[in-house]
Amino acid sequence: MKRSILHMLDPMPNNSPFDINMALDAGFEVLMPYSNVKLESVHGLTQDAIFSRGPAGVKRTGLFIGGRNLGLAIDMFNAAKQAMVPPFAISVFADPSGAFTTAAALVACVERELREKHGKELAGSKAVVFGGTGPVGVATGIIASLAGADTTIVDHLYLETAEDLAKQYNRRFGCSLKPAVASFDNDKIALLKDVDIIFCTAKAGIQVLNTAILKEVTQLKVAGDVNAVPPAGIEGVSPGDVGTPLIHATHCNAVGVGALAVGNVKYQVQHAMLASMLENEKPVYLDFRDAFVKARELLK
Amino acid sequence: MEKPFILHMLTTAKNLSPFDVNMAMDAGWVSAIPYTNIEASEVQGLVQDAIFSRSAKNLKRTAIFVGGRDTKQAMDMLKIAKRSMVPPFEVSVFADPSGAFTTAAGMVAAVERELEKHFQTTFEGKNVLALGGTGPVGQAAAVIAAKAGANVRIIGRQLEKAQHTADLCNNEFGDGNTNITAGADAEKAEYIKTADVVFATGAAGIELLSAELIANAPQLKVAADVNAVPPAGIAGIDAMSNGSPIAGSISGAVGIGALAIGNVKYQAQNLLLKRMIHSEKPVYLHFEHAFEVAREYIKTHKA
Repeated sequence: MKRSILHMLDPMPNNSPFDINMALDAGFEVLMPYSNVKLESVHGLTQDAIFSRGPAGVKRTGLFIGGRNLGLAIDMFNAAKQAMVPPFAISVFADPSGAFTTAAALVACVERELREKHGKELAGSKAVVFGGTGPVGVATGIIASLAGADTTIVDHLYLETAEDLAKQYNRRFGCSLKPAVASFDNDKIALLKDVDIIFCTAKAGIQVLNTAILKEVTQLKVAGDVNAVPPAGIEGVSPGDVGTPLIHATHCNAVGVGALAVGNVKYQVQHAMLASMLENEKPVYLDFRDAFVKARELLK
Repeated sequence: MEKPFILHMLTTAKNLSPFDVNMAMDAGWVSAIPYTNIEASEVQGLVQDAIFSRSAKNLKRTAIFVGGRDTKQAMDMLKIAKRSMVPPFEVSVFADPSGAFTTAAGMVAAVERELEKHFQTTFEGKNVLALGGTGPVGQAAAVIAAKAGANVRIIGRQLEKAQHTADLCNNEFGDGNTNITAGADAEKAEYIKTADVVFATGAAGIELLSAELIANAPQLKVAADVNAVPPAGIAGIDAMSNGSPIAGSISGAVGIGALAIGNVKYQAQNLLLKRMIHSEKPVYLHFEHAFEVAREYIKTHKA
């Protein structure tokens, strides 16, 4: 049998070692990094990859799309898909910055707590994403919004940043993200007045929600935090928390989900996505939507 | 299924050295992944990305190699990488910029063997001239020999650059315990009179020590030349020399050529790459460890 090859396309100067480890551990035998890849090059690279191994070989060949920019990754993903010439077609998986799998895991973990502890669904709930303009934040917003939650993405400095991204991704994916800015405690308190869900995807080591803010929230049901580096993004949420009561939110019965709990699911989702590229008879095309389906399945 | 051995190979240069890639694969690493044009500021991010996607058990099958061309940069990156570990999420790191650490280790260990064999002595108190010594191999060789007790003089065409290199070696790599000084190439006729050992680590194809100077070296014992491209860096030493007498030496000095050094270098690099595979605990390897294994190899493979 021919060896399995994963061509790893990245618009950045280097691939992420995280993805490299994951790909090899999922069973790919040979990894080829392609760095500084431009969108215009994806068509050519994809066709170069599909035409040299024959119909049996293409099943042992995959394309991974990394980078830091979600929009660009999705554009590259679409360009790769369009470049296929059946039966010369290979699987493609996009996970820029690991954001798709991290966001999928975060939303699925929060959804489970919402259902189990509060008997609610994402549809009909109100969600706010702090750090909502970074890669994981935007992906979290898109997934939550498409799952029916009334979702706001928050930038910590500029409303325009959130507005631009909301407009761009609403058009792209048909979601309904709302933009907001919150720099100070008062802004955050105002934003959280009738919110059911908090997603915290801000930079590692930055505390976004402190006790003073949490004391003011009244409707909160679940808060999820992806930050594993102390201090936690949400005060009182520990990395290992899974549905643990949020002690500082004294005016509601909210629970928290921590970074390790999310990370564990993320790991399994990414592993499953990579492995499915090798297991399927037909090529698979995997983005955040598939990651979310997988994360939900894993949590059942 | 056992997880594959992954070596993440970082370099500040535009490309990895194919030499190092071959060496890594031959030592047992299954995947050698290049990261190019890396700056020191990116090392922490890359290291933490690498350590957090495998279990502690499988991190034993993961390591980082630091290449590049610059000795200090590589040592700095090694230090940053070590600091970036989050136990039990940690992996081994091996720095060998331009292969200089293992090449220098191979050369110094081979010279040490000849000192013992022909002169029943060691590096302790010996005067070493490091000709063309401002490059990565010269620097590492100077530090290793100085740590073994030698007084090392780094000779360069420009005294200022040689002085800068000597300071760097003493301060950055010698922990303040090394005696490394500088000298200008124009003065080497003077320095050769008191030299016990000569290292020639200049650019390929340039003669650094002439037959005339060798004839004026009354206490020269061993001379080593890493240059494999004719003309030899030291007159009278060819690539195959391995302890053979240098023609015209009045003190019975012997020479070591590039192939003999290369053989020990190869073994040292291979052993360190393997050590990262077999070590239970993460190891952080540089020129000192290269010298350790080069000595060990020589001891167990007496010519």
